[in-house]
Amino acid sequence: MTFRTALAAEFAKLASLPSGYVALGLLLLLAPGVAVVNTSALRRALDTGDTGGLVDLSTIDAGLDGIPVAAVGAIVLGVVVMSSEYTPTRRGAGSGRQITATLTGLPRRVPLLAAKALALATVTALASAVAVPVSVVAAQAVLGGHGHPLDEVAAEIGGRVVGGVCYLVLTALLAFAVTVLVRNGVVPLIVLIVNGTFVSLSLLASMVTPLAKYLPDLAGGRMFGAYSPVEDPLGPVAGGLVMAAWTAVLLAVAAAVFVRRDA
Amino acid sequence: MIDVAHLTKRRGGRAVVDDVSFTASPGRVTGFLGPNGAGKTSTLRILLGLDSADGGTALINGVPYRRLRHPLRTVGALLDAGAHPSRSARAHLTWLARSNGIPRSRVAEVLDTVGLTGAARRRVGAFSLGMGQRLGLAAALLGEPEVLVLDEPVNGLDAEGIRWMRRFLRDYAAAGRTVLLSSHLMGEVAETADDLVVIDRGRIVARGTVAEVTAGHSSLEDAFFALTGPGGQDAGGGA
Repeated sequence: MTFRTALAAEFAKLASLPSGYVALGLLLLLAPGVAVVNTSALRRALDTGDTGGLVDLSTIDAGLDGIPVAAVGAIVLGVVVMSSEYTPTRRGAGSGRQITATLTGLPRRVPLLAAKALALATVTALASAVAVPVSVVAAQAVLGGHGHPLDEVAAEIGGRVVGGVCYLVLTALLAFAVTVLVRNGVVPLIVLIVNGTFVSLSLLASMVTPLAKYLPDLAGGRMFGAYSPVEDPLGPVAGGLVMAAWTAVLLAVAAAVFVRRDA
Repeated sequence: MIDVAHLTKRRGGRAVVDDVSFTASPGRVTGFLGPNGAGKTSTLRILLGLDSADGGTALINGVPYRRLRHPLRTVGALLDAGAHPSRSARAHLTWLARSNGIPRSRVAEVLDTVGLTGAARRRVGAFSLGMGQRLGLAAALLGEPEVLVLDEPVNGLDAEGIRWMRRFLRDYAAAGRTVLLSSHLMGEVAETADDLVVIDRGRIVARGTVAEVTAGHSSLEDAFFALTGPGGQDAGGGA
């Protein structure tokens, strides 16, 4: 019963958090947006026969390349769900924070974190389940004559679409766990977004050691067939399990710390 | 009923709460009085399950706060009046009510009680300090609790607000409920409280009815400075 009321409260918080809508907007716009831009370049290359600049010429899985960028939305959502608890109510020292109200309402901290994680995962899954298929359909529309019938697309890459949704959900949960640990949104936002878009720390790591394939983003990316910089990448299921294990461990560490520390 | 016994909390090797014991009884307003930094807020945070103690117990109706199933229906707390600045007062109270299975109709009722009905849709971040305190009290009252725990409740209130708060708390206790309020303002507490607990540098230095604590002094203010000042019982014991 306590868990049910905790979950209801977390959904109500998400529904009234403006930065949460910004995050969902990013997720829903970036995935199809990047898919359309990249696929337009692919179509131009196929139309003109000048394919020099493109690495990946496959048309069946066009649209999935928006997922790593859309992960920015999942990261922002995972971060703000927790960092909003620590936002000062007013500027200046000694101001209150929502976490006091949250913990007086729900003093059992493990169910509280579980409710937060479940609300986050549910909302991210719903948004991703729209964003990823829309990206794939939009990409096929852009390809026009170079494209494939949608039933063929579904049969060929349906599993990778599901994998992409899983990747976004796990990414949101990872960002959430890190934010629980640091109690602040700025650091995880910068690190995770920079890693995901501008300079991939995992990509750099892969130049040093083949073990980089076990890093959460490189492993999880295999679920939707993302480009892998390592020579012997994991399979989609193994990659998904590795990313899920990272998520579970980080959530467990975050819960252990959250339960012990003073609010 | 609040029962604190031998409560101790250390921070950085120093006891900020040192063997603190007191009770707050139903039907009475208990004032928790002490200078800033004396350990009032630290004690209340442990009582409300926010911080952990290094020793001793703090019980509400015989159980620790963290064991209450829907705590807001038993205890109303005003601690730092924390709310997310982007939410409206109503949205803040709505999720809080949900978290304890409190009917939604209570949100409008408590907003009316504290005089915030007209500001219900405004962002909390735009509230004045006094409005923030009123929102904090509204949150405390949501679950119609039989115990109220308020940390410096008149902080930021204007003269009219202080007068209103005083009468409100007196009426609340008169209905048989328990009210514990902390303050560093002796005048405020003398006007409101039945019982007093005086804390200084983490230790309880006096306990009893207002008359008992002020006995032998010309006023509560004199008693307060005699008890807590450098010439008080604990002289020379400061860390």
